Amino acid sequence: MMPLLQKVYDFVDERIDLKTLEAKMMKEPIKGGSRWAYVFGSVLLFIFVMQAVTGLLLMFYYIPSADHAYASTQFIIHEVDYGWFILSYHFWGSSAMVVMVFAHMSQVFLWGAYKSPREMIWLVGLALFGIVMAFGFTGYLLPWDQRAYWATTVGVEIMDKTPIVGDFMARFLKGGPTPGQMTLSRFFVIHVMVLPGALMGLAGLHLFFFRSAGPAGPFRGTPEELKAKTDFFFPRQVWKDIVAMAAVFLTISSLALIEPVVLLEEAKPDPGDYHPEPEWYFLFLFQLLRWKIFGGEFGQFLGAIAIPGAFMLLLAALPFIDRGPERNIFKRPIALLSWAVVMIGILVLTVSAIINREFLD
Amino acid sequence: MSHPATAISSVKLAWALSWAAFWTGFPFKMIVALLLLAAQIHPWEGAGLIALLALSVPIDIWALGLTARTFFLERMGIEVRGPAGIGLWWQGAVLGVVTLGLAYYAVGATAAVCQKAAAATLEVVNKVIPIPVAEQITIELLMWAVPTTIVAIILLLVWLKLFGWRIKRFAVASGQTSSAGLQERVRAWDGWRVPADPILMLVSFTAVAVLLTVAFWVLLPVTTTHRHPDYPPPPTDAGKKKVKPEELLKKTDTALAKAEAVLELLEKEQAKEKKKKPAGTGH
Repeated sequence: MMPLLQKVYDFVDERIDLKTLEAKMMKEPIKGGSRWAYVFGSVLLFIFVMQAVTGLLLMFYYIPSADHAYASTQFIIHEVDYGWFILSYHFWGSSAMVVMVFAHMSQVFLWGAYKSPREMIWLVGLALFGIVMAFGFTGYLLPWDQRAYWATTVGVEIMDKTPIVGDFMARFLKGGPTPGQMTLSRFFVIHVMVLPGALMGLAGLHLFFFRSAGPAGPFRGTPEELKAKTDFFFPRQVWKDIVAMAAVFLTISSLALIEPVVLLEEAKPDPGDYHPEPEWYFLFLFQLLRWKIFGGEFGQFLGAIAIPGAFMLLLAALPFIDRGPERNIFKRPIALLSWAVVMIGILVLTVSAIINREFLD
Repeated sequence: MSHPATAISSVKLAWALSWAAFWTGFPFKMIVALLLLAAQIHPWEGAGLIALLALSVPIDIWALGLTARTFFLERMGIEVRGPAGIGLWWQGAVLGVVTLGLAYYAVGATAAVCQKAAAATLEVVNKVIPIPVAEQITIELLMWAVPTTIVAIILLLVWLKLFGWRIKRFAVASGQTSSAGLQERVRAWDGWRVPADPILMLVSFTAVAVLLTVAFWVLLPVTTTHRHPDYPPPPTDAGKKKVKPEELLKKTDTALAKAEAVLELLEKEQAKEKKKKPAGTGH
């Protein structure tokens, strides 16, 4: 290490015991060695940090009032230096976060890494998944254009169908009979205060549980083979994480440049020619609700609340139902088939929703 | 004794190499694509596409060579003579061009035929049992997308099989086992790929990242190129008179000099008038 850097390092080490911290952070043993499959957690943390940074920059100009939200967003896009790029990065970053959450959950599921003794990591991970989706939902309203207004109207209506708490939640979020100033204020506070706090707390807990239980490692190989291949977190896994973060950053930036945020008309209680629809990661559910079987009050409850709720409960109960020690996904055909059906189902319904747009005009 | 390359399936071999090579080269290609996009050059058409393809070829050759050497050594225990990247890349590229050309027609034709068949079938079914639009869309999508995906997967497997066969031939012709132990050779190769000084690696990586970041922000347009139709257009300078500071200063100096001269003249005239008037005429 260069002499100056060494001096700085020694200075800090003397005061906060940097060596122990470094040993804990970087010398974490990885059973079976570093892998590309393990990058998703670090990438998610990176995306969250970038969302926080870009969100903070946007807050310097954004005004969370029904009278000024649209105009201030337009001002960010058209007048603020690089504002259009920062906003577009923030927009695509939210999609990247959802994609990465799906990828991370898929990896944990397929690797059987939710099994004992890692049940707590899985449960906290599910809560984090909910928070990421809530981030997407609350952030969507903030530009206050027709897309934002109507996606929120539809979303809150769906929430209203939840038994017992649905009515209260819908009224609390809307703050009035129709979305207005109170809705925007509440969504803004939840988006910039409540959810980031919850995410930071739960992500810390997630990491704490992860470090306590240790990484699950590959699902193939004898304990002796895995021990022989064991490597430290630094430098190989760190390098893989950095490359993955760079690839994700480049992808989000490219999307922001290819498809920058362009607002629709300012929000108004009349949808006009606009056909309300949610953000793309909720499209599959939106399309499912168009099926005849999910028509009517009960059908809507079944499709919007009961089925997704039961699915989430099943995911939460998974480590307690699937107690077998086998982690190899190729020896767990039901798990593999279920995962494939869910993924293909989401893909097919999302594409169907896109095709469905042609029939609306 | 059979060659270690013959023990592995061609499809698995080609998949392992091409998948790893794709992700190895991906970040570098993305850097090029992003810089082009920031400079408002589309990397999917015209000069942008040519630039991206021209830079992608050496990146792919390097990535394929790196992953092939690692795979051959770690999984088969063989080292290859000569440049592995170019030797494998051109074969994969030729096979890729042929398979892609074939896929363009085969996948396109399958999709077209299946779409027509699906539409005709649903038309008949609709006469008997009317199917709502949302359900019809999903059924129709599945009816043509499933066979089309199967055809695409078959063609991918054909490419992998052929490329795997060529990789095996290459490994048999160029591969050799050395007298040194496998662990020792793996360590030596690993040492070559992972720098001995990780701090130096991180510093270099950061320096390159900073350089690329500066290039990106320099190229990036300051204001949006996608203006909203309702948003007021930026003020133009057409109606405004341009201010030239030097001319303005000169003009001001001349005006002041003139004013001073007039003032001086007036003062002189006033002094003369005072002299002409006789003293002690006041009340």
